[in-house]
Amino acid sequence: MSDNKTKELIEIREKLKIMLVENLSLEDINPDDIKTDEPLFGEGLGLDSLDAVEIVVMLQRNFGLEVKDMNKGKEIFYSIDTLADYVYENTKNKS
Amino acid sequence: MNILGIGIVFTGGCGIDAYENALIKGFNAEDNNLFVYSVDLDRIKDKNLWKKLRRADKFSKMAVLAAADAATNSAVLHMDKKRLGIIVSSAFGPQVTTFDFLDGLLDYGEVNVSPTVFSNSVHNAASSYIAGVLGVHGPCLTITQFYFSFQTALQMAGVWLDEERCDYCLVGAVDQYGEVLGYIQNHKLSLAEDGRIKPFNFKPTYQIPAEGSVFFLVSKNKTDNTFCKIESICFNKNNLDNNVDVDLNIIDADGAMADESAYLSAISPKIPTAAYAPLFGSMMIGSAFNCTAGALMLKNQAYYKNPVTDNPHGINLLQDQGSSSIERISCIRYNCNTENAIIHLKRA
Repeated sequence: MSDNKTKELIEIREKLKIMLVENLSLEDINPDDIKTDEPLFGEGLGLDSLDAVEIVVMLQRNFGLEVKDMNKGKEIFYSIDTLADYVYENTKNKS
Repeated sequence: MNILGIGIVFTGGCGIDAYENALIKGFNAEDNNLFVYSVDLDRIKDKNLWKKLRRADKFSKMAVLAAADAATNSAVLHMDKKRLGIIVSSAFGPQVTTFDFLDGLLDYGEVNVSPTVFSNSVHNAASSYIAGVLGVHGPCLTITQFYFSFQTALQMAGVWLDEERCDYCLVGAVDQYGEVLGYIQNHKLSLAEDGRIKPFNFKPTYQIPAEGSVFFLVSKNKTDNTFCKIESICFNKNNLDNNVDVDLNIIDADGAMADESAYLSAISPKIPTAAYAPLFGSMMIGSAFNCTAGALMLKNQAYYKNPVTDNPHGINLLQDQGSSSIERISCIRYNCNTENAIIHLKRA
């Protein structure tokens, strides 16, 4: 992985963590405490299906990305790492 | 019906004890010299309740806190949650969230509006949150009305109890301060720049925008903790000053109307008058806060002095503070069409 890609992915992950805490009102959680490989839903961060809809809107608003296939969404929304990879790949393709 | 428990969230804190302390302490220019009497929810310690309200907006959070507080304060342990009703009243509803939703529409288009913001902008959201958090399965209603929403809600609670629709009812009022409301209030009305609402000025009037929530747990039943009885709720009653069997008139004058002279027709030289808006601010639902002061006085058999006593009309103001025998208190509200609504409280 190039240094540039690594640097960009780190930035995207940090941005996503802050967005999740703000947009999903995770008031007791510090963005820095979210592990990038832990599951966002269920036993990990404990998000639910309503949060998934909010993340869809968040991606559209902030990155111009649409997630129409919710089966694909399950993989994309698994963790901060998978979410960041999706954002990186798709914003890269757009530009 | 009887008031068995009271929950309150206001600029001075959360809980009936905080409100009673504010009534005893009276107006303090240093504490109250603010241009908005806002509620600081960060001061709320109940994190368990908070977890259930993650997605809720401030409007719903204030309502849930006050409703849960009223249920706890009543100390009624065995309540059938299917026989417990909820009535939320408000002058404006969740207007801050509604404006957020509209801003979202304008900024991002209808596809990218936050679904959570939309769900919170629905008028019945607060009562749904209360039902969810407290596990209530009884009837649930929201009343939005400009001037007499709290009185109408109390009247409805009385009907539900009379008709045995439920055995208990959480009935309350909530309104939230927001930039739009503040802008309108400060442009259409005069801001009390010295931080003092003067309820007995009547014209000109000075207001301070505010927010908060009050809930009563009411029932036909009576407990050791009963605050008082709500004897009646009357609308458009004439000849108010003939009602001499009342020990105290509490008026809702708070500067939220440019001309509050109508209250002069309700004031009797024979009955002392009080108004507590300087402690909680100018709100269309201010009646709920004044009514709470009346309920506390009847329960404790003690008066709380007027927080601000500027008295250009020389009316008979309540001067004393402390123990007294109190049988009846009337809480009087006027609207800008000089229509009135009166809540008659009686010692339990």
